[in-house]
Amino acid sequence: MSSNDETPGTSENPLREELPEEVRTKAPEAAPVPGAERAEQEPAGPAGPTGRQRLVNGLWPPRVSRAQLIVALLLFGLGFGLAVQVASNSDSDGALRGARQEDLVRILDELDDRTQRLEEEKQGLEDQRTELENSSDQAEEARKQTVEKEKQLGILAGTVAAQGPGITLTIDDGKGTVEADMLLDAVQELRAAGAEAIQVNGVRIVAGTYLTDVSGGVAVDGNKISSPYRFKVIGKPQDLEPALNIPGGVVQTLEKEQATVTVERSDKIVVDALRPAEQPDYARSSSQ
Amino acid sequence: MIAVLGLVVGVVAGLLVRPEVPAMVEPYLPIAVVAALDAVFGGLRAMLDGIFDDKVFVVSFLSNVVVAALIVFLGDKLGVGAQLSTGVVVVLGIRIFSNAAAIRRHVFRA
Repeated sequence: MSSNDETPGTSENPLREELPEEVRTKAPEAAPVPGAERAEQEPAGPAGPTGRQRLVNGLWPPRVSRAQLIVALLLFGLGFGLAVQVASNSDSDGALRGARQEDLVRILDELDDRTQRLEEEKQGLEDQRTELENSSDQAEEARKQTVEKEKQLGILAGTVAAQGPGITLTIDDGKGTVEADMLLDAVQELRAAGAEAIQVNGVRIVAGTYLTDVSGGVAVDGNKISSPYRFKVIGKPQDLEPALNIPGGVVQTLEKEQATVTVERSDKIVVDALRPAEQPDYARSSSQ
Repeated sequence: MIAVLGLVVGVVAGLLVRPEVPAMVEPYLPIAVVAALDAVFGGLRAMLDGIFDDKVFVVSFLSNVVVAALIVFLGDKLGVGAQLSTGVVVVLGIRIFSNAAAIRRHVFRA
């Protein structure tokens, strides 16, 4: 090889040697067969050795010639480029790597559109969520208020227990002279003074409570109670006590009947007698 | 034989080395590879026909590659790169098919 590289003339030699050799092998056989096969194929490629034989000849035995080396170099480049291209195409981002500029712009536009659509969808869903949260908050608030209202109304209707400041009014009727109307007077006086919840001897007194005289005592809503009558009243004690004690008022009237009346203020009165909540048969709320 | 070895070594080297393709060359490499394939099939056919000449092969190989890359480059500049490269691939594909048909006739006589 080194001798071949010294001058261009010598480097030409292997080529010159090889080509005639190939031509020589073809030439003798080209002469005897001038016929159909030759016409069929290339004019310069005589019919002698078939293409298959030439292929085998070219492949084996291997010959190191300049032509072979140059072709090998070019084919090396081809194989290299092929492999590199295939490898880069089969990368994970190969789809984008090989894409042209306009394709990339289009893909980017599509992505932008999609992002926008998803953003709008997200916005809508968030709005919906806020709305639902608000409405559930409102419902919760309304429910709380309803419960509160129910408790307040329950105190008035006597369906729930109540506690708070108030007084205890005890009427000890040793001689049996106290009658229902006197107790009713006491109850009215207490109501007028702002009593909010009243019970007497374990019976809740509400708006519809009635008192009747029975032998040996008084019946409250049909429940017989007897002396001593112990009223538990929730209200402002400073209002309730004077209301009972005014001259000519409840206390004096009862004491005239020989009854012993005591009024005690207390910070904590518990009214725990209950009445059943009754559903009206015919009346319905007209609100809503 | 040496040529075939060169091809095999090139493929193996490309797979093993996995070089990063420069961004400038990137759009032209696939077209160049197809053009080179066309030249190789033409050369193979010529060899089977007995008219193979290494000088012709080298020149046609290089000019094929250069012209294909040039066409793609021009197409990119004109804004019709995608269409032009499709056209180049179609033309080269037709040539490869006709060359492959000739080779097949030689090798299988059919």
